[in-house]
Amino acid sequence: MENTHQEEHISSYAEHFGTWVALIMLTFMTVFVSVYGSGLQTLTVAMALLIASVKATVVGLYFMHLKYDKKMYRLMMVVVMALFTFFLFMVILDYLTR
Amino acid sequence: MNHTFTLPNSGHNFDAKASKLGMWLFLYTELLLFGGLFLVYMVYRYLNQEAFLEASYELNVWMGTINTVVLLTSSMTVAMSITALQKGDKKLSLILLWVTIAAALVFLVIKYFEWSAKFEHGLFPGMEHYDSLQLGERLYFYLYFFMTGLHALHVIVGGVFILVVVKKIGNGSVNKERYSLLENSGLYWHLVDLVWIYLFPLFYLIH
Repeated sequence: MENTHQEEHISSYAEHFGTWVALIMLTFMTVFVSVYGSGLQTLTVAMALLIASVKATVVGLYFMHLKYDKKMYRLMMVVVMALFTFFLFMVILDYLTR
Repeated sequence: MNHTFTLPNSGHNFDAKASKLGMWLFLYTELLLFGGLFLVYMVYRYLNQEAFLEASYELNVWMGTINTVVLLTSSMTVAMSITALQKGDKKLSLILLWVTIAAALVFLVIKYFEWSAKFEHGLFPGMEHYDSLQLGERLYFYLYFFMTGLHALHVIVGGVFILVVVKKIGNGSVNKERYSLLENSGLYWHLVDLVWIYLFPLFYLIH
């Protein structure tokens, strides 16, 4: 039966726990930057978005198993992100040229 | 050549790859749904920077932080429960799923207290105090309620989805050989986490 879950990679408990530790540390980092870094507005916003994106990538790769699954899922994720970036770009272009 | 037909819903047409692909396709549309809302947020924030900043002080950073930790932890437990079932440890898998459901409830309870506080301050769209605010602040709270509300709806759906999986693991229809449903409910739950990862800094941490 080729439709079953055979030969699938099984993530270890330790790996999931390590992922969690990393995500918690990033969360406290982003809160710290926001609470103690006010006054540096643009910097804190950029930093918050950067940390959020790192966290999202970690969740995708490890918790959602994208790192071990078929390339196709990652590829489609890239396509979706590219589409979103295109929307983002067009919206920014629109508002900056008004 | 021997032709055999598989009747739909007969239970013999199990296809792990197809169901996972289907789940992912759905998740991509979910990403674009929230992505569109983030674009709305971005534009209004760009047009009302001061007001957004002012309004964001109404939110409680610590409640948001606790909820972030709760969601991240539940994401870990649901991922671990997949590992447990893959290894054939049904009992541990069920325990971890119950922990995930409990975390979903904790998240919603905290959210309830947060929203109640906003209601008390009359910040819900249509309330008197809300109507007296300047445009930018009204937009902020409108987006806050809409986006965290839509997210909370996803938390509820994800929790129910996991509850169904718990039942199916219990009666054995989701098991070591067939755990697509568990895997897909896990993916959905991670998406809920993923959206919150962006909602949290954009609403709570922008000051």
